[in-house]
Amino acid sequence: MNTFTAPEIDYVAIAPILIVAIAALLSVLTETFLPRSVRRPVQMILTLISLIGALIVLVINRDIRTITGGGAVAIDGPALVLMGTILILALLSAFLVAERSLDSLGDSFAPSAAALPGSVDEREFSARGYFQTEIWTLFLFAVLGMLAFVVANDLLFMFVALEVMSLPLYLMVGMARRRRLLSQEAALKYFVLGAFSSAFFIFGAGLVYGFAGSISLPEINDALASTAGETLLIVIGMAMLLVGLLFKVGAVPFHQWTPDVYQGAPTPITAFMGATVKVAAFGAMMRLLYVAFSGIQWDWEIILWAVSILSMIIGSLIALTQSDVKRMLAYSAIAQSGFILVGVVAASPSGISAVMFYLIAYGLVTVGTLAVISMVRDSTGEATHLSKWAGLGKKSPVLGAVMAVFMLSLAGIPLTSGFVIKFSVFAAGIAEGDTWLVIAAVVASIIAAFFYVRVIVVMFFSAPNENTASVAVPSIFTTITVAATVTATLVLGIIPQPMIDLLTNAGIFIR
Amino acid sequence: MTVMPAEGLFSLMWLLIALPLAGAAILLFTGRRSNAWGPYLGVLTVSASAVIGVLLLIEMMGLPTEERTITQVAYQWVFIGNFSVDLAFQLDQLSMVFILLITIVGSLIHIYSLGYMAHDPDKRKFFGYLNLFVAAMLLLVMANNYLLLYVGWEGVGVASYLLIGFWQQKRSAAAAAKKAFIINRVGDVGLSLAIMLMFVTFGSVTFSDVFGSATQASEGTLTAIGLLLLLAAAGKSAQFPLQAWLLDAMEGPTPVSALIHAATMVTAGVYLIARSNVIYNNAEIAAMAVIIVALITIFMGAIIGSAKDDIKKALAGSTMSQIGYMMLAVGLGPIGYVFAIFHLLTHGVFKAGLFLGAGSVMHGMNDNVNMRRYGALRSVMVITFITFMAGYLAIIGIPPFSGFWSKDEIIHAAFERGWFIGGAAVLAAGITGFYMTRMVAMTFFGKKRWETDAHPHESPAVMTIPLIILGLGSTFLGMALLFWGDIEAWLEPVVGYESEPTPLPTSAYIGITLAFVIVGSIIGWITYARREVPIEAPQGNWLTRAARKDLYGDAVNHALVVAPTNYAARALVWFDARIVDGFVNGSAAIVGGLSGRMRRTQSGFIRSYALSMVGGAVLVLLALVLVRI
Amino acid sequence: MSIDGELVVFIICGGLSVIGALGMVLSRKAVHSALFIAMVMINLAILYIANSAPFLGMVQIIVYTGAVMMLFLFVLMVVGVDSSDSLIETIRGQRLFGILFGVALAILLIGGIGSSLGDKPDIGLKAANDEFGGNVEGIANLIFSDYLFAFQATAALLITAGLGAVILTHREAWKPKASQKELSVARFMVGAGHPGNKPNPGVYARHNAVNTPAILPDGSLALDSVPEPVRSRDDSLIVDHRAVSTVVELVESEDQN
Repeated sequence: MNTFTAPEIDYVAIAPILIVAIAALLSVLTETFLPRSVRRPVQMILTLISLIGALIVLVINRDIRTITGGGAVAIDGPALVLMGTILILALLSAFLVAERSLDSLGDSFAPSAAALPGSVDEREFSARGYFQTEIWTLFLFAVLGMLAFVVANDLLFMFVALEVMSLPLYLMVGMARRRRLLSQEAALKYFVLGAFSSAFFIFGAGLVYGFAGSISLPEINDALASTAGETLLIVIGMAMLLVGLLFKVGAVPFHQWTPDVYQGAPTPITAFMGATVKVAAFGAMMRLLYVAFSGIQWDWEIILWAVSILSMIIGSLIALTQSDVKRMLAYSAIAQSGFILVGVVAASPSGISAVMFYLIAYGLVTVGTLAVISMVRDSTGEATHLSKWAGLGKKSPVLGAVMAVFMLSLAGIPLTSGFVIKFSVFAAGIAEGDTWLVIAAVVASIIAAFFYVRVIVVMFFSAPNENTASVAVPSIFTTITVAATVTATLVLGIIPQPMIDLLTNAGIFIR
Repeated sequence: MTVMPAEGLFSLMWLLIALPLAGAAILLFTGRRSNAWGPYLGVLTVSASAVIGVLLLIEMMGLPTEERTITQVAYQWVFIGNFSVDLAFQLDQLSMVFILLITIVGSLIHIYSLGYMAHDPDKRKFFGYLNLFVAAMLLLVMANNYLLLYVGWEGVGVASYLLIGFWQQKRSAAAAAKKAFIINRVGDVGLSLAIMLMFVTFGSVTFSDVFGSATQASEGTLTAIGLLLLLAAAGKSAQFPLQAWLLDAMEGPTPVSALIHAATMVTAGVYLIARSNVIYNNAEIAAMAVIIVALITIFMGAIIGSAKDDIKKALAGSTMSQIGYMMLAVGLGPIGYVFAIFHLLTHGVFKAGLFLGAGSVMHGMNDNVNMRRYGALRSVMVITFITFMAGYLAIIGIPPFSGFWSKDEIIHAAFERGWFIGGAAVLAAGITGFYMTRMVAMTFFGKKRWETDAHPHESPAVMTIPLIILGLGSTFLGMALLFWGDIEAWLEPVVGYESEPTPLPTSAYIGITLAFVIVGSIIGWITYARREVPIEAPQGNWLTRAARKDLYGDAVNHALVVAPTNYAARALVWFDARIVDGFVNGSAAIVGGLSGRMRRTQSGFIRSYALSMVGGAVLVLLALVLVRI
Repeated sequence: MSIDGELVVFIICGGLSVIGALGMVLSRKAVHSALFIAMVMINLAILYIANSAPFLGMVQIIVYTGAVMMLFLFVLMVVGVDSSDSLIETIRGQRLFGILFGVALAILLIGGIGSSLGDKPDIGLKAANDEFGGNVEGIANLIFSDYLFAFQATAALLITAGLGAVILTHREAWKPKASQKELSVARFMVGAGHPGNKPNPGVYARHNAVNTPAILPDGSLALDSVPEPVRSRDDSLIVDHRAVSTVVELVESEDQN
């Protein structure tokens, strides 16, 4: 009879995650014990410090490559890069969450999520300047889940991390200050469908366990390598795991929640989840596919080929006719998932680094774009209808120029990061022989260019009219985010080589 | 052909682009402060580039022929695995002639603009945009890969957009700028698709790699690339069916029309195809498509030029037609490339001269562009008249003016290809004689039909000196390039040159062409100089009426491009709304934000979303199981 | 495979849990659905125990059936036992494709899994249970070694869930709750209106609907007696004024008598 042996835990290696976890718990205590008046600054400082601290520790840890915690956590090159990406994007989104000078009523969140929309309570809370400071706690928990998601090295931890990431997001999506019914509806949809996709994931995990007798990713790989013949069980299991992950990245045909949620969620949260969930889910997807399922690469390539093409084409085509900027961005996010999948399908070190580069650059653009959107307002809050953007570039040239940079980057025009990432993903695809997939991607990116450019056309070529929204003056928070993202977009577009070299060195998953 | 690294004087080639770019940056960022000295800075940067260009030419002429292709890597931009994109320039005989055309004609037009734009409150902006254009155009012709060429291609497009719409207060100018921008996007799609296709096929987009391995690609791929490049060229060079923007582009200031929409940018399409000659040589169908497009455009341009009363639009029609000749020449293959570039150079000079002459006339006539209100200006504007006549004789192809040499060679090459193509080219030459004579007759001859408040006068020296230089160029450039510069031998290493026998001796073709031109001119003279020109345009026959409407170019564009795109998008939205959302009209409710209606449809949406997820999962599993079985 | 006790248990409990699952989806009333889930869970618990995983089986019963499902039932009781969803399908094709896809998915899964399990040996839990001296000990060992992080991360999940429940339901008071004394003082304040009960709506031979105002002793109409929503709808008009005046006359004549 064996006795219990405690697992080796490399606390240094997982320190960034621990810092965020501790901050999240402190945040709960803050809500519990501190008086209302000091909660908001304390929460804000706690969040910013913990994110920055985790980032610093991550940089110090940059050479650590280890598997720890009883095999549940793998810290390797991609994990470090993806964690860093998540932390940076979360930090930039946190500034948007902190913003409260854009809306005359306060920040972007409902003063009390429990008050019925349109009720006397709600009016009173709003008039009294209440804030739902729990948003910060949820924010930290979501970041925690994402960090855990990209390092998870077994299916159970991956699943729990997925839920830790998703649950706070469901809540935050439903907490918009304006258009609360839309927001709550989006949250409910996201929650129900998210639970549905989790069911697929956990079902798949069960089937994989049935085949491999283990849920540890390297052991699944070993089981695949040592088993000859019938592997239908694990193929089905793998496919169901993929369904769960493809839902999170909003790939067709698991995409339909995306437009509703992007539109309904408070804009800082749209920025946060639009950028970071993709990073986390693609990171986990790559680890899953490359570490556990490299033995059945042929099978998952078929799925991802089809999903990638569908996402790119359908996302781009539907986005063409969207008249709401946030909705258009949602369909664009679907299409972008397709582009990223081109790199995932490539399944080579250059493909991995291309995908990571894509996630970084795309995440920055997403946060920046939504930060810009949060500034464009009329009397009813954010003016997301495209007709209200007519002539905005003439009315406010700086904002117009910034938005134009983001749109050009999303369209993949040279001298912006968007071009470099598309180029690197396509190059990885061609190097691995996925020529037709790349051709489809090229066609889709041409279609996509039209609706991105359309925003620029509307902003600069239409004359401003009485419906044109005005641009609210942001505080330092949103200004930092916009400045940082637009600078990064241009710098990564003009001098991408240092980043490419960094990612090339980090492009190997450990088993 | 060996590619030489840039050494000695050639290491300065980046300055060609950097100077005007820096000029543009300074002018555009300093604001109103630079209004006083800004225009001179603009002239200075472009002139300096021109000087460097001439020095490089002299240096290059000193090199043996096989060492005349020089590359310079300014900056390694992206480098991933085996793929890289560099900011690298290539200087060879082809780009050399373009550099000279752009910088020298560009300098003259900058100088002319000093006078033409003297009273504009935003003149530093104007010069900033012009500098930007020159930089982008130089980038376009100096790039050593298609991607950098694309950057320059977009750059000239943006500069062109900014300059057409320079007088934003004019509604028509803003609309014209928008139209040019949008139609050019259609062409750009072609170029970007072509680049992607090259990248996919050859794994590289540099000229040397693509041309080096072009013969290994299938003919189908090459044809696709060729057709896509043709689409791009048609957009930029205002060829059928993307020609509609050029006539409207005349809303811009006249120096812009001269520089961008006559001499340089609109010839970028010709450059693109000449540069990609290896691809067209191996793609029969694509080359044939170029010829067809070119022939259609030659006649469209000529017909439009014959009917317009607006002097600039008539010239624009003629530009379309002349670029059609160049496209025809590049479509003919190795028998024509050299002459396409030759005609491009002579045309660049004489058409710039004609436009600047037209600008000078407008300057004296209170910016009136209607030729029906001109007449008998030859005695009032002597220098303008003489230089305009030099351009006139050059464009209709009277020896020894420069257009004769280049156009005649193209027509001859067309006859080498076949009677039909040659015959069409000759006929169009006759129409050229007609419409140009019409223009000259209506402007400089006949009776005065001036507006009552018009007091025509000769323009200041800063405008007439460029006119004189361009007039001299119109007269002598053709001979100089052909006999002294030996342009065929100069360009042959880059684009290749061969000649095919024709049934008749060369002099016979010259005779036929001249006969057609003279007949056309006489008809024009009789109609417009000997008879009274009515001030109000007569209704005219159906062809005239169609030509006045740009031969319904807008309608064609709408039918070919705008409508299908709209239908495709609408069909998809319909599909998404009806099929995917399950016949609920909920998507409209979502978009409209009508929360009441949404609450009703809420559950419906979730279950139909979930249904599509299950459907997706079923398809995924089915595909895997089927593949396994 | 021979017929043994375990197979019998499996057929009975497995069958029952499938029936329960179907019943949950198909039943019209929420309460029935909840009870069907309880049935599924109990049967699953039995299967766990039969597979020598007693801890899991007991947890399943105590936590899910005992706590979670009973909580569901409480909520349903509060909402109203009789509440039932409309089962009219408004989306065309939804039912058809739902059934189609559901059946297809089931066939694919059963076929796929079934075809792969043909010759897998039965391993059982005995070895695993014996490793650390029992089922509970084995689970404890796993939780605190291999799945330590998953276990700890679950704590984050639970905190988030608790926090979410508070955020979505806890409505803070934006003003102190008035005491009974304050309420009655306020009621008798000048201008506060009617301190006592308001009169009921009128009850007459011909009209006794709530929108009929009562008649005060002096014969005037007590519009207060009509409930506020009805009044604001402008619906309190059905007063037979002739009858009222007759009554008033009668009252007055009786007074005179």
